[in-house]
Amino acid sequence: MRKEKWQVFIIGGLCFLTAASICVQYRSAQSYITKSDVSVQSMSENKLRDNVLKEQENNKKLSNELQSKLDELENLRKTTASNSEEAQALETQLTELNRLLGYTDVKGKGLVITLQDADASTNGYTNDNLVHDLDLVDIVNELFNAGAEAVSINDQRITTSTAINCNGNVVRINNEKVSVPFVIKAIGSPEGLYGTMTRPGGYLSLMENGKIKIKVEKKEELTVSKFNGTHQYKYMEIAE
Amino acid sequence: MIYLTIIICSILGILLGMNLPTISYSYSGYLAIAIIAALDSVFGGITSVLKKNFDIKIFVSGFFGNAILAMLLTYLGEKLNVDIYLAAVIVFVGRMFTNLSIIRRFYIEKWSKKFEEKKKKMS
Repeated sequence: MRKEKWQVFIIGGLCFLTAASICVQYRSAQSYITKSDVSVQSMSENKLRDNVLKEQENNKKLSNELQSKLDELENLRKTTASNSEEAQALETQLTELNRLLGYTDVKGKGLVITLQDADASTNGYTNDNLVHDLDLVDIVNELFNAGAEAVSINDQRITTSTAINCNGNVVRINNEKVSVPFVIKAIGSPEGLYGTMTRPGGYLSLMENGKIKIKVEKKEELTVSKFNGTHQYKYMEIAE
Repeated sequence: MIYLTIIICSILGILLGMNLPTISYSYSGYLAIAIIAALDSVFGGITSVLKKNFDIKIFVSGFFGNAILAMLLTYLGEKLNVDIYLAAVIVFVGRMFTNLSIIRRFYIEKWSKKFEEKKKKMS
């Protein structure tokens, strides 16, 4: 009898321990769900990811449709233009204007500049070893100054209404986010552009001081893609 | 007597657990596997009581030994990037079901015997 009482206390103690640990574990698990939202967060994240993929698919489909419609328009224009001389003249004018506005892919000789952020140094990223929006603005300015005829950054065409903005850790060009590595394509005289861009004291040489990885290549043929948006205006009218 | 002790101690344990601080996420896996091992030991203990070969030394050593082994396996699995704790869960839960079925059988047989005896007395 005496021995049995002793056993009962041990069993009771173990039950006490088990119940306490179950309770602690339950409360901990609850707190993860409500406080840090481990499982809930991953669930909503998955949902968001799904939505993004769906939208991207949709976007692709729509842009394909747009492309086929544009081709159709081009064909129609050509067939109507072939009828009369006046229409043909208008058609050539139209293509010329579209080319100037950046609505068509253009190709030719030119220069390709690739910019990549510097490797993380021991003291972390500093301002000097990242490629910023203003760097891109300066490079584009220098390219146009050196006689570039068409410039694109990561296939975003620089047009008359293009803005280059900082958008956190990416850069916004034509309202599209682009990020490193930046591939800047410019059509123009390769030698002239190369000389201007790589001259000592030029902007690229200044950037090289910040350990930014820069590659400048002359190209005999390169394609600068067209501007995907539209030029919109509300206020301007033609002055008489 | 023994069931009363178990119930009272469990309630006390729950009361204590309510007031203890919660543990961090990285350690909760260990506590969870230890709880499974402990529950397995409890069911094993009840079964051995019914079979009348209950030994407190085996019970206590199994309670702590299984829990510690399960936690060590979980730790090893984390280091080796294998979910070894799943194996522990399967073994423990499987044993819990076996023990539960033994307990169930025991009580059902006991009750049905009582029922039949009553029937005999009535007739």
